[in-house]
Amino acid sequence: MKALLPRDKLLPFLTEMSHKLEVVAPVLANEEEVFCTWTGQPLAFDENPLNPPTEFLIPHRETLFRYVQESGRYTFEEEPQKSRLVLGIRPCDLRAVAVLDRIFGAYPRDSHYLHRRRSTLIAAMNCTRPKESCLCAHLGSGPEAKDEYDLLITEIGSGYLVEAGSPAGILMLSDHSEFFLNATEAQLMEKDQLMKQAEEVVKSHSDVSLQKMRDTIKMADWESLGRECLSCGGCTFICPVCHCFNIVDLGVPDGERVRCKDTCILSGFSRMTSGTNPRRTQGERMHNWYLDKFEYIPQKTGLPGCVGCGRCGRVCLAEIDRWKLEAVR
Amino acid sequence: MEKIHTTCVYCGCGCGLFLHVEGGKVVGVSPSSSHPMSQGRLCIKGWLGAEFVNHPDRLKTPLVRRGERLLKAGWEEALSTITTKFKEIRDSHGPDSLGILTSAKGTNEENYLLMKLARAGLGTNNVDHVARLCHAPTLAGLSYSFGSGAMTNPISSLAKSDAILIVGSNTTEQHPLVAFHILRGKARGAKIIVVDPRITQIADLADIRLSPRPGTDIAWINCFLNLLIQEGLMDEDFISKRTTGFDEVREAVSKYTPKAVEEITGIPAQRLTEAAIAYGSADRAAIVYAMGITQHTTGTDNVQALANLALATGNVGREGTGVYPLRGHQNVQGACDMGALPDLYSGYQRVAQARQKFEQAWLKPLPEKTGLTALEMMAAAEEGNVKGLLVVGENPMISYPDTKKIKQALLSLEFLAVCDIFPTETTELADVVLPAASFAEKDGTFTSTERRVQLVRRALPPCGECRPEWEIISDLLSRFDVPTDYTSPADVMEEIASVTPIYGGVIYDRLGTDGLQWPCPSRDHPGTGILHAEKFSIGLAKFRSVEHREPIESTDEHYPLLLTTGRSLYHFHTGTMTRRTSLLDREIPGPYVEMNPEDAKKLGVRSDQKVVVESRRGQLCMDAKLTTDVPKGTLFVPFHFNEACANVLTGQAVDPQSKIPELKVTAARVRRAD
Repeated sequence: MKALLPRDKLLPFLTEMSHKLEVVAPVLANEEEVFCTWTGQPLAFDENPLNPPTEFLIPHRETLFRYVQESGRYTFEEEPQKSRLVLGIRPCDLRAVAVLDRIFGAYPRDSHYLHRRRSTLIAAMNCTRPKESCLCAHLGSGPEAKDEYDLLITEIGSGYLVEAGSPAGILMLSDHSEFFLNATEAQLMEKDQLMKQAEEVVKSHSDVSLQKMRDTIKMADWESLGRECLSCGGCTFICPVCHCFNIVDLGVPDGERVRCKDTCILSGFSRMTSGTNPRRTQGERMHNWYLDKFEYIPQKTGLPGCVGCGRCGRVCLAEIDRWKLEAVR
Repeated sequence: MEKIHTTCVYCGCGCGLFLHVEGGKVVGVSPSSSHPMSQGRLCIKGWLGAEFVNHPDRLKTPLVRRGERLLKAGWEEALSTITTKFKEIRDSHGPDSLGILTSAKGTNEENYLLMKLARAGLGTNNVDHVARLCHAPTLAGLSYSFGSGAMTNPISSLAKSDAILIVGSNTTEQHPLVAFHILRGKARGAKIIVVDPRITQIADLADIRLSPRPGTDIAWINCFLNLLIQEGLMDEDFISKRTTGFDEVREAVSKYTPKAVEEITGIPAQRLTEAAIAYGSADRAAIVYAMGITQHTTGTDNVQALANLALATGNVGREGTGVYPLRGHQNVQGACDMGALPDLYSGYQRVAQARQKFEQAWLKPLPEKTGLTALEMMAAAEEGNVKGLLVVGENPMISYPDTKKIKQALLSLEFLAVCDIFPTETTELADVVLPAASFAEKDGTFTSTERRVQLVRRALPPCGECRPEWEIISDLLSRFDVPTDYTSPADVMEEIASVTPIYGGVIYDRLGTDGLQWPCPSRDHPGTGILHAEKFSIGLAKFRSVEHREPIESTDEHYPLLLTTGRSLYHFHTGTMTRRTSLLDREIPGPYVEMNPEDAKKLGVRSDQKVVVESRRGQLCMDAKLTTDVPKGTLFVPFHFNEACANVLTGQAVDPQSKIPELKVTAARVRRAD
């Protein structure tokens, strides 16, 4: 099902949706694009926000349940999941969701993740104006969405071309038909043209490929790169695919079990109780991060563990070239 | 989910970040891309910066001591107990028997109100804070020499330097975002010279690395100057037009020959020459320093020696040049700016000169006598001269030298009130404990190490019955008959601006993302990035000759090793926040001592073995980490850990000028804990 949402109908449509569920969208906060709950703020579609929207599926920090002790017995309280529509997920991040679905959906299934995932509607947005740091086309994740969505939006001259990709998406369009017009053949062709151009732009940025990256990883001087790394963990915290977590119980006798993002860049991640660490140096830990992205996740899920969003390069405190992996210092 | 832009609570870098708030909790942190310091980056502490906010250990109600125990109480009871007790003490022993230690973790507004409370409320200048233990020598040294004790340039200026001399700063761990800008400079071709007894990461990445014996900095700095004079690498034009007193310095440094200095410092003469020339021949050279320079009995002279070096080479007042003292806490700069110091009002206005002005502004008579510094207050407490103390957001039991003496001092007090966000070793000794709102739960401003005044925004309401300190202090001010009508921190800033010329143009509406760098004297002033560009505020900058003096604490046959203390990347100060952050506490879960494998071999110590470290003041048991990153004869102990508090070992010998204790030099010995 394909339809056109005229520009002036976008806000009324979102307002209508926000009466039914929480709408998350890229907006300007402090003059910067961020994903957060939309309550009428101006939308910011120019740039993909630095912090990826996957945080609505795997938050940096979430309470799994509260434990309450009464007369020597424990009871457990879980908070209900919110229903959400996340608008403006770019194809790279959409690919990340696909990877996460395969990882958390594999046995043993992560019910907490799946709960959130099922409560989330995705209105993805094709990238018509990719940035310099974008590498999606080289890794097969964009700039046109290739993974499952409920709605897919492409900004074209006359408004937003909206395609439904799931039963929930079809319902969203049909239940709100007052906002939409029928999409014309010309508009569909305009979209194809825009996507072709965008792909060319991304491809002109560099010549990275999965295989090239694998070769680069083999050749890299990991010890030197490890000396340069400032151990901020930024690459792992910002990566839409990174999903490792730690679990802690906070509070005695009552309290909450909290799951928070972990990072394999820290030595404590792989250190054993005895103090032995199979990944002793920072270089070894960085190497492992790359192997996970380009070898292990593809083996496990059939999809690359890197979606080419370029965020790890943008946040790297040591400004290491994340693709060339050349030690400069 | 809401995202609120605010300023990081950890170090003096003052990074901009977003707090992600959902369901009344902080659920994540992300960096601000548009912020001039962070530029989309954070260090590991920043990324995990708000985990402690919702920690169950938070103090949530006021506590009042009943015998041995601290029991829950209401705000009225807690505040009226403080008021009654302080008034009693003041009436029977005079106002100078009271004192306040303010917080480098608090906002500018809170520090201003606390110093107002001390002076106008209690009637004493006994007000100080942790800057006494970190950059008091900077304030003394650079104020004398340049007319301002603050960082001369914005940090981003380092990326434009041709040479950067980094002294006694473990930059990648303590100020990671400063390291980011330094490494940008290096990528551009700047020569990096690191002087540190330890091989830190920044030392490892440096072009030239010098490892002096701790406490010998003046010797090698004077030697640099001597070499530059001989090589003709001075900026004679700058010296003659903009400075005074160089001849005396020229004369004094002449005896610091590389050979003589090699004897004192252990740095090979040739390396000294190489490093001096790298600094001196650069068109734009910068000096970055931290606690390795200041925490000595020669702290102020050390700073002066560096100032001499910068002045003699004309490396002040231009982009890429300058002197960069790196301040530890996110608002230790602001706490100093706000006059939380015993001899200065806000904006570094001397009590002796500005008293009348503040009396008119506050409508109260103000004390004349210079107050006591932090350690002097402790000594006075032990002697029974200071009887009542209010400590806000500080944990002297872990952070001050010679823990045993500090505990004795705090126990000698008639009345101790402590305001904090978590129970600490200091709140345990208190008579009244006040629960404060964390940085995520209040509005205000922090001033970063580059003089940038930035907004702190409330992201969620205070937990439990906690109140922001500015509210608590306002309440106390009225109880001490100082009229107040602040409805928000912005009102307090308005008052600050009206009495503090360097903050004259600071109002909340102007702060936005970039904040404002002081001096910003008026509302139409854009703030000042580079200080001393055209002229120094004191007219001509002053040279002062300084001589090498051995540290007061020295090694002997009983205590043959030199112990220095410091911090780790993964923890902050006394660990109240980082040790409650799961990943950080897992990374470095407990105390340790770093020692050289050769020393360890002599003592029969193996890696990760428990050892006892002893000094003339006490002993601690901890794990030994063997590493060649510390030179032979040297030990390094981080001071974050209450299980083995490094300051049990350190002493209270102080720099006579700035009263900073000699935290970087302690004679020690090690034995296996069998």
